[in-house]
Amino acid sequence: MPRLTINGGEVEVPPGTNLIEAARKVGVEIPHYCYHPGLSVAGQCRLCMVDIEKTPRPTIACNTQAAEGMVVWTETDRVKETRRSVMEFHLINHPLDCPVCDQAGECWLQIYYMKHGLYEPRMMDEKVHKPKAVPLGPHVILDAERCILCSRCVRFCDEITGTGELGIFHRGDHSEIGLFPGRELANKYSGNVVDICPVGALTDRDFRFQVRVWYLDATKSVCPGCARGCNIDVHVNRRRPHHAEGRRVARLKPRVNADVNTWWICDAGRYGFTFVDDKTRLVTPSRRDGEAVTDVAWDQAVSAVAAALERAAPGEVAVVASAKMANEDLWALRRLLVHRGIRRVGFRIPPRVPGDEDAFLIKADKNPNSLGAELIGLEGNVRDLLAAARARQVKVLWIFGHDLFESALPEADVAAALRGAETVIFTGTSANATSERARWVLPAAAWVEREGTYTNFQGRVQRFRRAVEPLGQALAEWDILGRVLQALGAEATPPRAERWFRELAAAVPAFAGLTYQAIGDAGVMVTR
Amino acid sequence: MSVGNDAPGAWNRPPSGRAGLADPAPRVAFTAEQLAEARRLQSLYPDPRGALLPVLQMAQDAFGYISLPVEEYVAGLFNLSPAHVHEVVTFYTLFFREPKGRHVVAVCHNLSCHLAGAPEIVARLKARLGIEVGETTEDGKVTLQSVECLCACEHAPMMQVDDRYELGLTPEKVDRILEGLR
Repeated sequence: MPRLTINGGEVEVPPGTNLIEAARKVGVEIPHYCYHPGLSVAGQCRLCMVDIEKTPRPTIACNTQAAEGMVVWTETDRVKETRRSVMEFHLINHPLDCPVCDQAGECWLQIYYMKHGLYEPRMMDEKVHKPKAVPLGPHVILDAERCILCSRCVRFCDEITGTGELGIFHRGDHSEIGLFPGRELANKYSGNVVDICPVGALTDRDFRFQVRVWYLDATKSVCPGCARGCNIDVHVNRRRPHHAEGRRVARLKPRVNADVNTWWICDAGRYGFTFVDDKTRLVTPSRRDGEAVTDVAWDQAVSAVAAALERAAPGEVAVVASAKMANEDLWALRRLLVHRGIRRVGFRIPPRVPGDEDAFLIKADKNPNSLGAELIGLEGNVRDLLAAARARQVKVLWIFGHDLFESALPEADVAAALRGAETVIFTGTSANATSERARWVLPAAAWVEREGTYTNFQGRVQRFRRAVEPLGQALAEWDILGRVLQALGAEATPPRAERWFRELAAAVPAFAGLTYQAIGDAGVMVTR
Repeated sequence: MSVGNDAPGAWNRPPSGRAGLADPAPRVAFTAEQLAEARRLQSLYPDPRGALLPVLQMAQDAFGYISLPVEEYVAGLFNLSPAHVHEVVTFYTLFFREPKGRHVVAVCHNLSCHLAGAPEIVARLKARLGIEVGETTEDGKVTLQSVECLCACEHAPMMQVDDRYELGLTPEKVDRILEGLR
């Protein structure tokens, strides 16, 4: 392994490591635009110049591999002057429209100009004009004047998705990013080009002009869109609630996890959060009598549900759990089932259309926690369970989250099962055709409104954190189930998600030894 | 958030008169011999993509100009994304992306030729052909271009007509040359 010295600090790096990554290891940041650790080296932006002893001129760090005995200096006068000159070139034709640019506040032209530029502008000629506000596809919009031609987006489409939609056309100062005429940027991962664009050239059609980025707060989370559980940051707008029509979750951004999603997420996950602030959200517990729906207090709903469970024999209760619930919720449910001796349970509802899957990130199972539900012991045959309800053998049918009418189950069978059960309870975040047939509706907090963990298809237990308060009176499922357990006379139930997880880790061998601390930001594998 | 200029397609329609992909275009394909030649050219390079320029030149000769369907066809031969062929075609000025005349007249407008009277030559060509620089005569005979230095300063002013250099031009010589074009 080559040992080298960077700004006087010694570091040993694996062979093939370039100088940008080697410098990171000693806490030295080498400014760059075109280099991205997830993409090939282009050497396009020329900003990452460093001085290497015994070489006559500054050298680009991205395309220079660390070598034994190399002595690198990143802050010499010559390097600083080179950076200033490169910045000046990058900004020659840049429109400097920061006040109306959505990238402002997270733009590397702004950041590096303040850190490494700060020259007196000398540009006197008319700037070259290029296409502006060009929609490239459903999610991405291009301003070619702001582009610095780093080619990250082009390389992303070539190397990551293999779709090759983008190119750099024409030459010299007329060069511009674009699509083959008549095509669009509509691959399943297109939103990532906005993340990797270091400037305001590619912006997000969903997010732009909604809220300034400096009003956003970021919370570490996990995408609930499929069984992979890509690591994400949830960006929420708490400080300007009057912007973006009350939308609290402004956007989701991928968070690096080398073992799960590397730098990327798919578009389905990225834009799949809109239900959180949707009008269909359930916000108060309610009771339905025929057509009439009455809002009730939590205490009332909980004691009614507990009473219904107590009235029924264990064999007359059936539970359709959901693999969209967190491990903590599923463990709370498992405790309730054991407490009452209930055996009719299941969580796998066949989807109406099979989920799409690819060889990259997207998994066909659109639930984030199927493995967790399996390990916690909630496997069961939902078709049998619903058949029992149709045969009027089920008095209490408790459904979590699912809209059974939006599944591969025959609609008539579902309707008959819901009619056949004496009391239908629905717990979920959003109203649907199933919740509309439930006697009791208990509103659940969305994943961004609470703490919890999912177990992804690999067996990796990953934490998601609360980014916003639950809407209305919604509660996490573990909280709802804990209250019902208490009403049923169970011993004290944990008051926090973390404590439920501790119970789970103590009881289920697969989770043995795991804690929220151990899971950290990157997740930990279950024991299998 | 529906801003007017967000409307899909409002900005990225191909310029009128230029064949977009939506337009019905005649199917483009090399003859068997041309295809064999393209494959031979590809075999000359360690990476077949090295043959992209010569094959595009072949395509220009075969189809008259490099239309978008031609770019897509060539991309198919190289297993490349059409966007990458478009990159190459837009980079080089000698690829014509619109139909060109049977003859291409390219007048040098660089320093030596300019001082030696290129503006007069261009003016004569424009007057005789009835077109501006960059245009093609209505009968499709001549495309007029003005270009950078063609490395014949000692014979300024000069121009290139198809593959031939015409040197030491005068307006009268220009007339004779134009009359000689079929």
